[in-house]
Amino acid sequence: MAQPAVVYEEDVAHESSWDADEALTAVYTAHYTSLVRLGALLLRDTGTAEEIVQDAFVAMHGRWHRLRDPHKALAYLRTAVVNRCRSRQRHLVVVDKHTPRSLPDEPSAEQAVLRTVETDRVIEAMRTLPEKQRTVMVLRYYGDLSEAEIAETMGISRGSVKSHAARASKSLRQLLEQTV
Amino acid sequence: MSLHDSNDPFDDLMRRALAEEADRVEPADALPEIRARVRGRRRPPTRRPWILTAGAAAIGTAAAIGAFTVLDDNAKNAGDDQVAGGPDTTTSVTGAPLSSAPATATEPSAAPTAPAATSPGATLAPPERGKPEQVVKSAVVPVYWLGNRVGTNRAGEVRLYRTWAKVQGRPATEAVQILTTKEPGDPDYYSVWRGARLNSVTRSPGLITVDFKQLPQARLDAAEATVAVQQLVYTVQGALSADTERVQITEQGRTGTKLFGQIDSSSPLARAKSNDVQALIWITSPEEGTSVPTPVKVTGYGSAFEAHLNWRILDVKTGHVVAEGPTRTAEAYKFTPFAFVVDKLPPGYYTVEVFESSARDGRATSTDSKSFMVR
Repeated sequence: MAQPAVVYEEDVAHESSWDADEALTAVYTAHYTSLVRLGALLLRDTGTAEEIVQDAFVAMHGRWHRLRDPHKALAYLRTAVVNRCRSRQRHLVVVDKHTPRSLPDEPSAEQAVLRTVETDRVIEAMRTLPEKQRTVMVLRYYGDLSEAEIAETMGISRGSVKSHAARASKSLRQLLEQTV
Repeated sequence: MSLHDSNDPFDDLMRRALAEEADRVEPADALPEIRARVRGRRRPPTRRPWILTAGAAAIGTAAAIGAFTVLDDNAKNAGDDQVAGGPDTTTSVTGAPLSSAPATATEPSAAPTAPAATSPGATLAPPERGKPEQVVKSAVVPVYWLGNRVGTNRAGEVRLYRTWAKVQGRPATEAVQILTTKEPGDPDYYSVWRGARLNSVTRSPGLITVDFKQLPQARLDAAEATVAVQQLVYTVQGALSADTERVQITEQGRTGTKLFGQIDSSSPLARAKSNDVQALIWITSPEEGTSVPTPVKVTGYGSAFEAHLNWRILDVKTGHVVAEGPTRTAEAYKFTPFAFVVDKLPPGYYTVEVFESSARDGRATSTDSKSFMVR
């Protein structure tokens, strides 16, 4: 998925002199799209994901004087986005179990791009996971985050990340094998 | 990156599928809008200790969300502690019990004349702003929070949820302080008043004036803004046991600011009907994040069709329903207590959900939930 985490590496020397506006522009350019996509995977609702990510950028700008580092800024943004998405999701999940059809269908019914069958199966299978497991899987496979980063982002222990990932993988493998 | 150094085809499949799914999302450019929002805020270079606190406590989501909401809207809270008539001034007491406070309304200062509804801009509030509220030795006051109401067709519909807080000093002032500076105990609840800076709460006959040094900066949609304003109205009225008195919200003595970018505050606000803004189900016990002995007694209030509610207990780890059943409120259609007991829960982490099944299609609606541990 290519999270452009390397963008800043060669630039470390002068980035700390960025003011909040410069940082906003730089970090936005590098990460806005991928953060919205992350939110959309978690929420299955692109509009809400965009709102949440924009809020997060406004917040990041406001605290740039304390972050002063694009890596920290990204970690901050990611945590903010994941937390907000999870909070919405927890409610949706409850509803979902009762009324799968009442939810907005998938990230974008309006988007004409069809999924491949393979992706379709994976996304459908992901929907059956509890919220935490799904979040772990999205951060792991889309966000390409390490265990430690996932733990930090979600505010849980590494052990929990491991066990959520293990359970999710087990369920998904079973489901995906069944539907072949 | 120990999680993904394998060549397992499953890992490849997951990566490929999520990347493909993600690529379907092409967000529009939002940088101009973000810049505009950033410019719209005043930003004194003060430090904000409460952010540190909230950030450090960001296990799970509650604290982080709270912090985030605040950050989002207000970069300038350093002065939260120094509020007029703050808690420290209240050790000696004039001792009016809370219940009598509203009856002994202060002397008749001219109530503000009818709202200057015609003048759109900020106008000076009437000079008589009434008297400070009574000081009490201690009082338990209701504090209202926003929470999403699930099971409705409108995503993001918010409702009021009530918690209790023990305060001393000036009950309404203290209650508003909780809204502007504290975290709710339940991660599902939040306050859009967080970060606002209260100046004073004063009373004159029929009117409560809540003056802020700084109103919240959040901009909300009309529906959420309506409930958000009622969050303050309910909290202030509840603290003063004065449900019928209107609430005038001012900023540095001036009326007319559009609250949350939506609500005209040039005239005093009345309490909205509880059915329109209040959540229909509140779980009051167990409290969020507490540990309880088994059997677990669950209590709360609900307003339900024919008094009928449903509940279920989910194992937090597996997400499975481990117990479920019906319960009844004391009276149909009225916001009245319910209680039920769940036995045979082995030690572990659980979430209890209480909800009403929609008469129309059986969906769970109005759900309130609490997570707890069984010892």
